[in-house]
Amino acid sequence: MTYLHDQMASTGKVKRSKDLPQGAERLKEEHRKVVKDCRSQIEHWNKVEKDYESLQDRLRTLPDKLSYDIMVPFGPLAFMPGKLVHTNELTVLLGDNWFAKCSAKQADTLVEHRKKHVKNALDDLQKVMKNFQNKDDFTDDLEKLAGDTEDFVDIREEVINEEEFTKGKRLAHKPNSKPKQEYLSDLEEDTEKKEGDEERTTGLLSEEELWARLDELECEEELQDERYRHAVRINTGKNTTLKFSERNEQKVQAKRKKKSGKSNGLSPHESYKITSPADIYRVFVDLVNGEPIPRKSILKSRSRENSVCSDTSESSTADFEERRAAFGRSWSHDDATHSDTSDGITEEESPTGTSPRTNGRFEAFTGTVIEKEPLPCSIPYLTIAPPALPTIPERKLEEVGPEALQEPPKRMSKFKATRLHQT
Amino acid sequence: MAEAIQKKLQSELEKYQQLQKDVSKSMSARQKLEAQLTENNIVKEELALLDIQNTVYKLIGPVLVKQDLDEAKATVSKRLEYINGEIQRYETLLKEMERKSEQHREVLSSLQHVNIFCRPSGLSRPRVNYAR
Repeated sequence: MTYLHDQMASTGKVKRSKDLPQGAERLKEEHRKVVKDCRSQIEHWNKVEKDYESLQDRLRTLPDKLSYDIMVPFGPLAFMPGKLVHTNELTVLLGDNWFAKCSAKQADTLVEHRKKHVKNALDDLQKVMKNFQNKDDFTDDLEKLAGDTEDFVDIREEVINEEEFTKGKRLAHKPNSKPKQEYLSDLEEDTEKKEGDEERTTGLLSEEELWARLDELECEEELQDERYRHAVRINTGKNTTLKFSERNEQKVQAKRKKKSGKSNGLSPHESYKITSPADIYRVFVDLVNGEPIPRKSILKSRSRENSVCSDTSESSTADFEERRAAFGRSWSHDDATHSDTSDGITEEESPTGTSPRTNGRFEAFTGTVIEKEPLPCSIPYLTIAPPALPTIPERKLEEVGPEALQEPPKRMSKFKATRLHQT
Repeated sequence: MAEAIQKKLQSELEKYQQLQKDVSKSMSARQKLEAQLTENNIVKEELALLDIQNTVYKLIGPVLVKQDLDEAKATVSKRLEYINGEIQRYETLLKEMERKSEQHREVLSSLQHVNIFCRPSGLSRPRVNYAR
């Protein structure tokens, strides 16, 4: 035990070349030992069986004559001529110091019975031996698998400084973080190394492609984010509603300007244009630590970040949401348009001006977006919170247009809204 | 500090070895019992093959004592039950000893880790994080 620990302590990491053959060697040794044991035992039992068979022969011939002339052993060194009588009467040892007087035929039966036991033992041993032989062959194959680099390769990654990554518990990715560059670089390395292996390279490449595409899309989105700066609701905590007010709006803008450091040339009005479905996502953005972070889904509110369930952290959802948004630009997300998802987006759209334009774009949304209606009527859509969703209680309404938004946020189902809208 | 730990390690090691010896002793006793079990089973079966005409003897010391067939059968059955009971007892004993030896093993390994860390430097630099 100490030896192993010392070894580990000295090397620090498991070397690929040394470890596997050693382990395999050890395993094979054990297998071979067992197989050898089995073989010797099988030999022993075979001898026993032969003995019994010769005994049976003797038993069958013994009663043929009434008496036999034999040389009787006297002690270890001498013999005496004598006669063997009562040839049919045998005292048989039954085992455990029990004896029985029986005839030759009965003895024969007993011997048969014993031979059955011997056969059972032999069968068991044969099975065990075959088992271990198979195991041995399998480890041989495994070794070949891992050792050679030709047909199959055992995928191994060397973990350096494991403590750094785990720190005792798992950490979710920070929002807007790309997957660690090291992993990416490892992937690249691996693909370079094992290019001969078709199966794996294709898999890795596609993964790499994925990451690359993700990065592209992220960059694109960031650029777009800069251009379309909507009013971002500061996270004022759980269960608080923030009514639309110009003061806040200005505050927010001021904060944004301060933090971004770029002059946002667009007027507040223009910044709230929704021209594509993705813009909706831009609207539903949380401000965390001064950074606008897109939310995982506009149905989800930040109220769940303190919940016990896993992965409700904003960071992880935001991360996930990024990717989703990146992938599905042309997503038609019905509920997204209607749900007003959380603690605070104040969406200040200039209602009338944009609505005719948005009409055309809303084709991506199936059937629940109003067309040819002044935006104030569409406001109810944006303020709808489907009652089934758990995050409803936390949601604050978006205040889309100035007029309609002055009233306290009403919640109605989208069906009701459609009805209202249609009537 | 390292010496105290060394001493502790030694004593723990001895205890562990003692325990291992006990375990192996119990193991061998149990194996013997198992052999007796199979033997007595065979005797029982063979007695069943005999009939009342055959005289059954029991070897007690240097003497072959005549026994009744039915009596012999009963005696063998009782012996079988006794052997089974003994095997059960040894089983529980072994399990208990195994558990204790496991505990000792853990103590030993933890002591060893401490030992490695506290060892005067220059020998080996531990790099693997054992803390769990």
